[in-house]
Amino acid sequence: MLRLRGDPAKRSAGRRLGLTAGTRGLESLRTEVPGAPDTALGVAPRSPDEVAQVLRHATEHGLAVQVRGGGTHSGYGSPVTPDIVLSTRRLAGVESWEPDDLTLVVGAGAGIAEIETMLGGKWQTAVMPERPGDATVGGVISAGLSGWRRARLYATRERVLEVTLVTGDGRIVRAGGRVVKNVTGYDLPRLVVGAFGAFGVVVSVCLKLWPVPPAAATVTVDSVETARQVSRPLAILGDGAAIRVFLWGGDEEVEALGERLGGRLSEGHQWPDDPRGAFKWSLRVPPALVTEAVGRLPQDWSFVASYGVGEVRAASEGSGAAAEIRDWAETVGGALVVVEAPPGGLDGLDPWGATPPAIDVQRRLIAQFDPARVINPGRLPGGL
Amino acid sequence: MKYPHGVGLIEDLRRALGDENVLEKPVELYLYSKDASLMRGSPTCVVFPKDAAEVAEVVRIAESHDVPIVARGAGTGLAAGASPTEGGIVLTTTAMQAVELDPENHCAWVGAGVINLDLSKQAAPHGLQFAPDPSSQSACTIGGNVANNSGGPHCLAEGSTTSHVLGLEVVITGGEVVVLGGKAPDPPGLDLKGLVVGSEGTLGIVTRALVRLIPIEPDVRTLLMDFPTVEGAAATVSEVIAAGLVPAALELMDQRMTVAVENWLGAGLPTDAAAILLAEVVGETEGVRSDAQIIGDIARKHGAGTVEVAETEAHRALLWKGRKSAFGAIAQLAPDYYLHDAVVPRTKLVETMKAIYEIADRYELTLLNVFHAGDGNLHPLIAFDAGDPGINEKVHRAGDEIVALCLKNGGALSGEHGIGIEKRDMMRTSFTELDLDAQARLKEAFDPQAIFNPNKILPEGSRCFDFGGIPRREVPEGVWV
Repeated sequence: MLRLRGDPAKRSAGRRLGLTAGTRGLESLRTEVPGAPDTALGVAPRSPDEVAQVLRHATEHGLAVQVRGGGTHSGYGSPVTPDIVLSTRRLAGVESWEPDDLTLVVGAGAGIAEIETMLGGKWQTAVMPERPGDATVGGVISAGLSGWRRARLYATRERVLEVTLVTGDGRIVRAGGRVVKNVTGYDLPRLVVGAFGAFGVVVSVCLKLWPVPPAAATVTVDSVETARQVSRPLAILGDGAAIRVFLWGGDEEVEALGERLGGRLSEGHQWPDDPRGAFKWSLRVPPALVTEAVGRLPQDWSFVASYGVGEVRAASEGSGAAAEIRDWAETVGGALVVVEAPPGGLDGLDPWGATPPAIDVQRRLIAQFDPARVINPGRLPGGL
Repeated sequence: MKYPHGVGLIEDLRRALGDENVLEKPVELYLYSKDASLMRGSPTCVVFPKDAAEVAEVVRIAESHDVPIVARGAGTGLAAGASPTEGGIVLTTTAMQAVELDPENHCAWVGAGVINLDLSKQAAPHGLQFAPDPSSQSACTIGGNVANNSGGPHCLAEGSTTSHVLGLEVVITGGEVVVLGGKAPDPPGLDLKGLVVGSEGTLGIVTRALVRLIPIEPDVRTLLMDFPTVEGAAATVSEVIAAGLVPAALELMDQRMTVAVENWLGAGLPTDAAAILLAEVVGETEGVRSDAQIIGDIARKHGAGTVEVAETEAHRALLWKGRKSAFGAIAQLAPDYYLHDAVVPRTKLVETMKAIYEIADRYELTLLNVFHAGDGNLHPLIAFDAGDPGINEKVHRAGDEIVALCLKNGGALSGEHGIGIEKRDMMRTSFTELDLDAQARLKEAFDPQAIFNPNKILPEGSRCFDFGGIPRREVPEGVWV
């Protein structure tokens, strides 16, 4: 019989677990995990079986498990008060890289930066976020983050071919396959992207890679209209000061396109850092409304907007204007999502906004994989 | 095993949809008793709802009578996904025809019954197109594409249907109409839309899809290359990718297929070549010019005899005609064929093809190959005459061996045709019991009443549908993969 979390006695047992690190069964996995609160037990399993051991324990005792990769987005989503913080950093091995097949099988804890550097050695990329910091493969997938290049090469969810995860009740499940085209069974890999572990802790994935052509350039132009003279650039980004067009291709092609755009061309891709501030936001609107979206941001908000995608990453020191921007975004079919906020800084503002559709189906799906709801409980929209 | 034949079912449906939108005469039912696969079922009735509200009515009625619903578009599916093998209601989506283009946002809301090619035709005046282009695109519907996560030659660079679905209007359990996804990126919450795509109508009924439209590229080059060895063609495919190019399409046709097509079409294809490779690059003029040059150079390095480059639309159409007519050409070899769909890692293409020929030779079967080489998606085709005694058994056994071989070489059961019933029981060879259990849980969460296209995709040991061998069938021109 499962004991559901929420049982107060068990919750306090969870805190003691963190303080004493003495609960039988998990001592051997105890590790210092950066960012873990003092009251939580840090664990860093080395194998799917060890992940399963932790999750079965959590399910049995009704403990909340926060999953942590590089910690770059630990404030993203509704807050979780963990009894256990599970680090994926020891699940970081490259199992296989087949450059000719454009596939990479890698552990969830592998760093995006390290992986992309490795792939770059053979002119390939996993099209992950361009300024990843310490972010991990598992973290980017679980949080559903994508790079700016999605404007041409599509979002992260298009790159996850196979996933191995450990469900909340400790089952090791694999779905998808290690080939670039596959319709064998339900697309669980896609469902896992952006699910914050609701179906299980992702332990390894197979990613679809993309070749990197020889030439790359960034062209600064005066307007979005000028930028659109190129059919399908990698990205068109604006930050209020400049519009930059990111090109790649053959030498001749990039040179010719640069000339056509007529702006200032520099070699390589100067990807912007995410805007910095006490609050970080992701404003998502239909692509044609990016200019209007940017116009609605207060003067003191900084931003990077992706034209053609509809994503505006913004930062601010206060959250005063957020409710109004969110109202507008939701009216036009978009969202304003909190990516990071200081503790207690949201003043009643929900991190996600409106409850998503088919919430009952979402709840039933999660219950099939994490019946005691132990992995990042409540982190998803709608209190899931 | 059949569901109970609901008393009063037809009357309820007629009340909801009108008499003319519910068919039940035997001859009508026969027409809808199968898709383009080999497996026939026996539906109770066929309905033609015109929108989500009517579909919701049908779902509620089906649930109250405990009969299954099988959604059907144009019925071009090859894996029996739309064959009503458990009886019940065949829900045809063809009355759902609305298209709302949104050129500003590069997308369109499209009724499930809209034909794939019609969508691209409607989008073309805005400089836009729908990327997935299954060879059946002049007949298959968007709803069917969504159900099967359909591919096509041009999915090499742009991905299959799932990469082009931004949102879905779906009628789910209880007749609830939900809109999943939308025009803005990354809607908060679980990506249910991504799960519904490719679920073959087993989670609910898709009534409309919000699809991405991509710009029609300013320029295109199509190349036809002939090779003295299959290895040379396959090595060219690998090296092109390694050179940093992902062409819009990379299609390979073996000699047996080339000969069949040439005998039929007389298009001037090189019948003495062991393999021909069709490549297409799209983009800015400067890019396609150099890409075509690079591909041609790589091909010559691997022994290509001639490299024919089409620069006009008419020439391009001619080069594609051979590829797209391949399955029509089979009719002159034998009256029947069985078409496979499996994927192997690109690096295993040559060894897999050799082994597939060996299997066919061992069974003394005529086997030809034309396939999406760029993504390793094989389509071995066995041509036969179902009138030959014992042939069905042989075709099936050879087919099973081919699929097993692809899996052994690290491949997948299906690249674009789906699982349906055809490959349902082979799922056990790809997944553990726990993996399959996880998939069954997805189905259960979505469809607790087990109304939507039951017993497809996932094997069920206790249930067994006997399809009684391979029925004889005609092979019309333009039968598709």
